[in-house]
Amino acid sequence: MIPLLLLHLLAAAACLLPGTRAGRRTFAVAAVPPAATFLWLLTVAGGVLDGTPLVADLTWVPQLGLTLQFRMDGFGLLMGLLVSGIGTLVMAYSLSYFRPHGDHPPRDDRAPDETARLAGLLVAFAGAMLGLVLSDGFFTLFLFWELTSVTSYLLIGIDDRAAAARAAAQRAFLVTGAGGLALLGGLVLLGQRSGTTTLSGLVADPPSGTLVTVALVLVLTGAFAKSAQFPLHFWLPGAMAAPTPVSAYLHSATMVKAGIVLVARLAPVFADVGPWRALVVVCGGASLLVGGARALREQDAKLALAHGTVSQLGLIMILVGLGTPATTYAGVAVLTAHALFKASLFLTIGVVDHEAGTRDLRRLRGLGRRLPVLAAVGLTAGASMAAIPPTLGFVAKESGIAALEDTGIGMLGPAALVLVVVGSVLTVAYTLRTVGGLFGRDVPAGDDGPAPIDPAAVHRPSVAFVAAPALLAALSLAGGLAAAPVGAWLAEVAGSLTPAAAEGYLTLWPGLHLALGLSAAAWVLGAALAEVVRRRERGDEPAPTVAIRAYAAGYDGLLRGSRRLTAVTQSGSLPAYLTVVLTTLVIALGAAWLRGTGPVDDVPWAESWLQVLAAVVTGGLALAMVRARRRFTAALLLGGSGYGLALVFLLHGAPDLAITQFLIDTLSIVLFLLVMARLPDRFRAPPSWVPDGLRLGLAVLVGVAVAGFSLAASAARSEPSVGDEYVLRSEPEAGGRNVVNVTIVDFRGFDTLGEITVLGVAAVGVVNLVTAARRRQRRDGATGPGTGDGDDGGRTDAGAPTAAEGAS
Amino acid sequence: MTPWMALCIVVPLGGAAVSLALHGRLLAQRVIGVAAVATTVALALAVLVQVDHDGRISADLGGWPVPIGITLVADRLSALMLVIGTVMLFAVLVYALGQRAQDERSPWYVPVYLVLTAGVCQAFLAGDLFNLFVSFEVLLMSSYVLVTLEGNDRQIRAGITYVVINVIESTLLLLAVALVFAATGTLNLAELPRRLAELPAGVALGLNLLLLLAFGLKAAVFPLFSWLPDSYPAAPSPVTAVFAGLLTKVGVYAIIRTQTQLFPGELRTLLMVVAGLTMVVGVLGAIAQSDMKRILSFHIVSQIGYMVMGLAIGGVAAIAATIFFVLHQIPTKTSLFLVEGIVERETGTSSTTGGAAGMARRSGPLALLFLLPALSLAGIPPLSGFVGKVALVESGFARDAWVVTAVALGVSLLTLVSMVKIWSGVFWGDVPGRTAATDGTLGTDAAEGRDDRDGERPVAGVLRRHPLMSAVTGGVVALTLAIALLAGPVYRYCERAARQLAVPAGQVGGPAAGEARGENP
Repeated sequence: MIPLLLLHLLAAAACLLPGTRAGRRTFAVAAVPPAATFLWLLTVAGGVLDGTPLVADLTWVPQLGLTLQFRMDGFGLLMGLLVSGIGTLVMAYSLSYFRPHGDHPPRDDRAPDETARLAGLLVAFAGAMLGLVLSDGFFTLFLFWELTSVTSYLLIGIDDRAAAARAAAQRAFLVTGAGGLALLGGLVLLGQRSGTTTLSGLVADPPSGTLVTVALVLVLTGAFAKSAQFPLHFWLPGAMAAPTPVSAYLHSATMVKAGIVLVARLAPVFADVGPWRALVVVCGGASLLVGGARALREQDAKLALAHGTVSQLGLIMILVGLGTPATTYAGVAVLTAHALFKASLFLTIGVVDHEAGTRDLRRLRGLGRRLPVLAAVGLTAGASMAAIPPTLGFVAKESGIAALEDTGIGMLGPAALVLVVVGSVLTVAYTLRTVGGLFGRDVPAGDDGPAPIDPAAVHRPSVAFVAAPALLAALSLAGGLAAAPVGAWLAEVAGSLTPAAAEGYLTLWPGLHLALGLSAAAWVLGAALAEVVRRRERGDEPAPTVAIRAYAAGYDGLLRGSRRLTAVTQSGSLPAYLTVVLTTLVIALGAAWLRGTGPVDDVPWAESWLQVLAAVVTGGLALAMVRARRRFTAALLLGGSGYGLALVFLLHGAPDLAITQFLIDTLSIVLFLLVMARLPDRFRAPPSWVPDGLRLGLAVLVGVAVAGFSLAASAARSEPSVGDEYVLRSEPEAGGRNVVNVTIVDFRGFDTLGEITVLGVAAVGVVNLVTAARRRQRRDGATGPGTGDGDDGGRTDAGAPTAAEGAS
Repeated sequence: MTPWMALCIVVPLGGAAVSLALHGRLLAQRVIGVAAVATTVALALAVLVQVDHDGRISADLGGWPVPIGITLVADRLSALMLVIGTVMLFAVLVYALGQRAQDERSPWYVPVYLVLTAGVCQAFLAGDLFNLFVSFEVLLMSSYVLVTLEGNDRQIRAGITYVVINVIESTLLLLAVALVFAATGTLNLAELPRRLAELPAGVALGLNLLLLLAFGLKAAVFPLFSWLPDSYPAAPSPVTAVFAGLLTKVGVYAIIRTQTQLFPGELRTLLMVVAGLTMVVGVLGAIAQSDMKRILSFHIVSQIGYMVMGLAIGGVAAIAATIFFVLHQIPTKTSLFLVEGIVERETGTSSTTGGAAGMARRSGPLALLFLLPALSLAGIPPLSGFVGKVALVESGFARDAWVVTAVALGVSLLTLVSMVKIWSGVFWGDVPGRTAATDGTLGTDAAEGRDDRDGERPVAGVLRRHPLMSAVTGGVVALTLAIALLAGPVYRYCERAARQLAVPAGQVGGPAAGEARGENP
């Protein structure tokens, strides 16, 4: 398995190599890995179905449970066959689809390297999807799950010049990404509660408890998002912005089945837990109805089919999600049928689009006659979609209805049955409308609609182009005609999900039972509904759905809310930022005080009146500085306050420190005055809502808090300071009598080296700003601001006492 | 005793001195610069090997024993940070030389950058609180000069915010260091845990909060982050890259160091709240922006929240997750800024609303170089960000930290939203008619670009036009991929580092300290 995945990666890399000029021919390269996978799967199918799953492991980060664990059982085999088989067909089909036309440009005419990029991404997706259906480990599943989301994002947005495509890609990515996160959360929880990291281990020994219920709801959310289930279904129609082969492959046949695959594996064991079944029936049922109803209104055939996919996925979700053996079996059968007929229909529409130049149902006419083979293909696949015998779609849905008749799970069973039947009516109606619209009409649908096409001008597609949809349609038909053997084979497949499902069967003639009656009723009512819709057709484009509008409103709201919040946090005002920082400081120290900072005995208030005087001068000037409105005054007051501090140092018997402080303050004042010449005279006034006393109050609070905490911290010491060691060792060991000097140049010489470096770099910064200003003046004659100098000056002022203080 | 580890600081510092002496000889300066940082990388790797073998190594500078002199200590965390830090510094230096822009032609660039390198190394190796402060001073002062290197109005205006906030940070740190010394009588990180434990609860809490405040301001956590998104985008891109990738993480490193070793597990609730708010406010800020550089700057803040979250959850598993997350984040964030630098160099803008649109069309490889780290940032598997996210989420759930873990998951979706915004606005879309570059520095490139637009074929030449920048960016992205690929052994190393941090007391009588005491009679 792992070499095959690497082969996909290799092929993708080859296609994506920059400068590839091979264009659509790269699809031939891209077809190799899925084709090889398909053949390999056929060779191992026998053994797998006999009950010996293939296993492969690759260790990554075992401590976190991150190991690549693959396990292919019967269901994995079926999904692998679908993924690689349809993948091969889509690649082959793309060779024709992206062929440039002779006389009129087709819809998908793109530069060669863009086509190559598309091929590369498509085969990368094929690999990711293969990995997903074969994965057993939680994180293996999640890894490939996200990789399919990423490749899907890039593929939907492949026509990135169109804003609509970009928006649709983003929507799909974010919705599935959100689901992915829910899934991740759920998987981590399940892993921790169960002690296992594999789905097979989880199912073999299921855990229980509230957390498990929460985890399962999270997993279901992820599955719903991925499989486009209501209310997270709205991204899927937008994904139709991608070229048709992409839509056929990702957004109908494979990727959107990922959620269903996961639910199918868990449901047999966990369906009884909490709200599982209710969620499945409500969300699946809503998707079934909402998608079906909307499919009746779209004018773009591809969009109509996309809504039909939402609807069909709802049906499959109900069947596999209920988790009884019979519904599981039916779910597997419907899933298979859907992959075949829906891929066929999409590819058919792609041919129509390519040859007729449109897929607008209002413009198409006369194609049944002009393209009879293609029409036959479309009608066959459509019959399977509408569950009309003798197709696989019919036999599969019959088994589904029969399974719902008697589920033994209370009221949810009948409710699901009603939903499925109503959904079937809608399905028949939109199938008639869409397929009929493509091939059935000879006259245009409306008088005032867009101009109809000229059937005679429509190209006849090559055999190779029609081969893929034809083959898929043929399989849909053959599956119905050979219902019994196909059913038996599917039973073996479904048996790997829950052993009892191996008893399921398919039959073309079920007898005159309730199931057949309900199917017949669906045909009749569906046909009637289609007729009603046809008569009331207004021929206009329907408005965006509620869900799309809700998503857009939510996204805009997020942007608006973010902007509003950011306007508050990023006021751009330095005083505001400083207020936040200082307030935090006061709160922090206040919290420390509340916790209890221990006794502060005999506070050394003052040793002399001179000290008191110096303190009052220092503090008073500082307070006055806070009140200053003019920069000049503030600078002088700040300097004065610094001189006061120098006095305090002096009175404490530290003349060296006092001189340092004095010199630096003098230097700062000089620098300030130099800078001041370039700045406005006054500070900018604070906004009016700021209380007058805020600045002063905060300054006082910071002062009190810091001073108080300093006292408490100093009083808390119980052990001798290393400073005493310095005094002891200074003379005998370092040979210096001045302990401060010895500390600076010897004990802690490395710190001093750092501080000297700081001063040196500060000098460089000042020189650079001065010369930069001069350079600019020379260049454009404008006066450069020199405001940076002041800050650098202020910086040195904080740096120098640092060295001294650290040493003291 | 491994005195040679001081060379990690001495070599770049010496290089700075030599290159300063070579003022005016740009080529010689660059050779010295590259050689010095490359040597430092080699030394850092040697430290890493030695540390992983011995557990913890130290060097007593000046021959003075603990606690008289200054000790350099490297444990597994600091060795890891040293390696990733110097590698990033090397990458960005080479990238900047390839940029051929105004500021890198400055004769001051190489010397100041080397001093920054020395400061960063010193911060990771400091075994002493005051020395840690000095290292912050060294790296901050050089960062002040680097942000204003060009000296234009915009840089100076943004520079003022940066400088003033960081001066406050230095002051707070100095206050904290001084009060720690006052209360305990020592600055040695190995001796502090025991002495801090003896202090009254309130004093210990106050010291803890003061240190957290100072380092948190540097790391830009809520509510102290506002300065960062205002000042980083104004700096030249390579400078922003190293600031974004590295400097905030030095703050994070200091928080990890103090919170695990000095005050283990004391502020869990507070850190939890801070982590959640940092993540949310940061990512919402990113969503609100419409400029690539600004979006990325806000993400710095948001991602810091994840690191604080791991710290808040606590326990060896969560600390290991945090260390891994930091390790992933540094090259990932750096590479995003490096890509941004190329985009800006090529188009003259980094706006997501037009100007730079269609980059993927012009250069597929460049788009890939953005896409990989961007998805990694959003935690998409199998990239390194996914491993980090899973590790954090697993440890969060395991220790019942439901709310913050759920917030972390939600934030990774919002991260995806903003990455998609960049991708949609810058890499997708039509290449706009190229206007003349906004400033003169783009001259020749703009002329070349014009031919390519006419050809209606994608430009393969974007990377070829900036070979050195592209090579470095590619190298850093490759490094992030290597971290992802080798996540198993790398994560095991992170676990060993976390276990080492979990035993703060072990440092006291540990082999290094004991050995040091015995050696110096």
